[in-house]
Amino acid sequence: MALIDALLQGILMGLLFALVALGLNIIFGVMNIVNFAHGEFLMIGMYTTYWTSLLLDIDPLLTLPVAALVGVLLGIASYYSLIRYLLRGPAIAQLFGTFGLMLFLRYLAQFLFGIDYRIIQKGLLIGKSLSIGPFIFDWTKLAAGILSLFAFAFVYYFLNKTKTGKALQATSINKEAASYMGIKTDKMNAIAWAIGGGTVGIAGGLLANFYYIYPTIGILFVMIAFACVALGGFGSIKGVFFAGLLVGILEMVFPVFGSLVNSDFLGPHFKFTIVYLAYFIIVVFRPQGLFGWKN
Amino acid sequence: MEKLKDALDFRDFSRAEQVGFTIFSIFLLLFPWLGAGSFVKAVMIQFLLFSLFGMGWNTVGGYGGQVELGKAQYVGIGAYTVALTMVWWKIPFWVSMPMGILLAVGYSFMIGYPLFRLKGHYFAIATIATSLVLQDIFANWKLVGAAKGIELPIHDHPDFLYMQFKSDTYYYYFIMVLFYVAIFYMNWFRRSKLGYQLRMIKDDEDAAESLGIDTRWCKIKAYSIASAFVAVGGGFMAVYNLYIDPVSVMDLDLSIKIALMAMLGGAGSLWGPTIGAAFLVPLDRFLGSWLGGHGGLIGLDFMIYAMLIMVVSAYQPRGIWGIIEQFRRKGS
Repeated sequence: MALIDALLQGILMGLLFALVALGLNIIFGVMNIVNFAHGEFLMIGMYTTYWTSLLLDIDPLLTLPVAALVGVLLGIASYYSLIRYLLRGPAIAQLFGTFGLMLFLRYLAQFLFGIDYRIIQKGLLIGKSLSIGPFIFDWTKLAAGILSLFAFAFVYYFLNKTKTGKALQATSINKEAASYMGIKTDKMNAIAWAIGGGTVGIAGGLLANFYYIYPTIGILFVMIAFACVALGGFGSIKGVFFAGLLVGILEMVFPVFGSLVNSDFLGPHFKFTIVYLAYFIIVVFRPQGLFGWKN
Repeated sequence: MEKLKDALDFRDFSRAEQVGFTIFSIFLLLFPWLGAGSFVKAVMIQFLLFSLFGMGWNTVGGYGGQVELGKAQYVGIGAYTVALTMVWWKIPFWVSMPMGILLAVGYSFMIGYPLFRLKGHYFAIATIATSLVLQDIFANWKLVGAAKGIELPIHDHPDFLYMQFKSDTYYYYFIMVLFYVAIFYMNWFRRSKLGYQLRMIKDDEDAAESLGIDTRWCKIKAYSIASAFVAVGGGFMAVYNLYIDPVSVMDLDLSIKIALMAMLGGAGSLWGPTIGAAFLVPLDRFLGSWLGGHGGLIGLDFMIYAMLIMVVSAYQPRGIWGIIEQFRRKGS
C-alpha cells in the first residue's frame, strides 16, 4: 500500500519535474547550451510567488502569471545580456558563463532575502488534503501536478501547432538549414530562453506552495532536471515528459524500499543521490536517452 | 634523470617570464620573514594550495580541454584518508598521504573509465553528478562522521610525523614545496608525450584518433594525474585545518573554484592556475572578511565573483594569460 501511495505521489512530483526540465531541454535543443542557472530561475519563481502573495495578500495560486512573467523576462534578459556573447566562445566558456549566472542569481537572492528557509503559510490550498480511499493527497501537490501537466501540454501544443513553435523545432534540428529558410536564429534563441524561463517560473510558483524556499535550492532541481533531460534524451520533448515522471516515481519509491532495511545507505536522504546515479548510468550507457535523437 | 632535467628546464619561456618567475620565487621564499600578519599568511597558504589544485585540474581541463567539474571528490578522498587513518590507527601523515593518493588514483580510474565515454556537456554534468553522489554518501555515513565531519586529534607538542605545528610558517613552507613539485612536474608534463597528445585531443579529437592516439586512455591518464594532485592538497587541508566535513572538502563550490581559478588565469598554460589563484584567493578572502565586518552584506562577495566569471567567459575565455599574450603579440 505504501508503495502505491509513493507511486501516486511520485507521479505528481514527476509532472512538476517534467515542467522544470522542459525549459532546460528546449534551450538545449535549440542552441546546444546547458543552462546551469535553470535551477536559479526556479528559485526566483518561488520567491516571486512568495513575495507577491505575501505583499499583495493574494492566494499563491493567483501569482502564477506573475511568476511566469518574471521567468520570461529573466530568460530574455539573460539571453541578451550574457548568452549571446557566450555563443562566440568555446564550449567551456559557455558552461562557465551559465555557471556564473547561476552563482550570481543565487547570491543575489541570498543578499536580498537572507539565508532563511521560508514557507508560504496562507493560501487556499495550503494545509488541506484530499482523501480518496486509503490515499491522502495534499491539495497543493495535486494542483502542482495538474497545472504542470496543463502548462506542459500548452507548450507542447505551441511547439507543434504554431508557426513559431515549428520554427523553433526546425532550428533545433538544423540551425543552418533553418536559417536558410529565413528563420532568424537569434530570435529563435531568445524565444527558447523566454519559454524556458516562463515554464520554470510557473514550476517555481507551483513548487513554492509546498516546498521550502531558500536561495540555494536551485542546484538540487537543476540536477534533477539534468537527469530528466538525459533520461528523456537531449532535445526530445516527449522524452522529457516521461523521464520527469520516471524520476519523480524513483525519488518517491526509493525511500519506501529504504525504510524496510535499516541502513546508513538506503534512507530517504538518498532519494536524490539515486537520481544523480541514474543520470550517470544513463548517459554512460545510453547517451541519446530513451527517446533522444541528438547525440 | 633526463626527465628531471626537462622539469627544471625553463629555457623555452621568454625572458620576461623567466625573470618574473625568479622574482616570484624569491618572494615566496622570503615571504614568512616579511612580517606579514597571520591572516595574510593564511591567505598565502590558501593561494599556494589552490595553485596546486588548479595545476592538477589544468592537466585534464586545460591541456586536455575536458570540462571537469568534480575535482572536490578527490580533495575529499585525500582529506578523509589522512584524517580517518590518523583518528583510527594513528597512522602518520607521511604514510597516509600516499595512501590517499593511491586511493584517489584508483577511484579516478574506476570512475574515469565510464566517464570518458562522454563528451562536452554530458561529461561536465556527469562529473558533477559523481561528486555529488560521493558527497551524499559521506554526509550520511556514520562511520566517517556523517555530516558532522571529523576532528583530528591535536598533539601537545609539534610533531613532524603528524604534521602538527604551532606556527603557520611550517605549513607555509610545506605547501610551498608541494607547489614547486607541482610546477616542475607540470613543466615536464607540458612537453611530455601525454601533454602533446592531450593538446591534440583538445584541438581536434577525430584527427587525434585517426593518428592512432587512444584518446580515451589519454584522458583517463590525465584525469588520474589531476586526481593525484588534488588528493595531495586534500591531505594537506586535513592536517592544516584539523577539521574536515563533507561541505568543506567535497562541496560543488570547491570543484567550481578549482576549475574557475585555472580558467580565469588561463587554462592550458603553465602559469595560468597560479595567476588565477593569485587573483581570486585574495579577492575571496579579503572581500569575505571585509564584508563579514559589515553584517548584512552576505553573498556580495560571491556576486562579484560570479560577475567576474560571466565577464571572463563572455569576453576572454582564455583568461588573464590570454589577455597578456594578446598585448604581447600587439607589442612585438
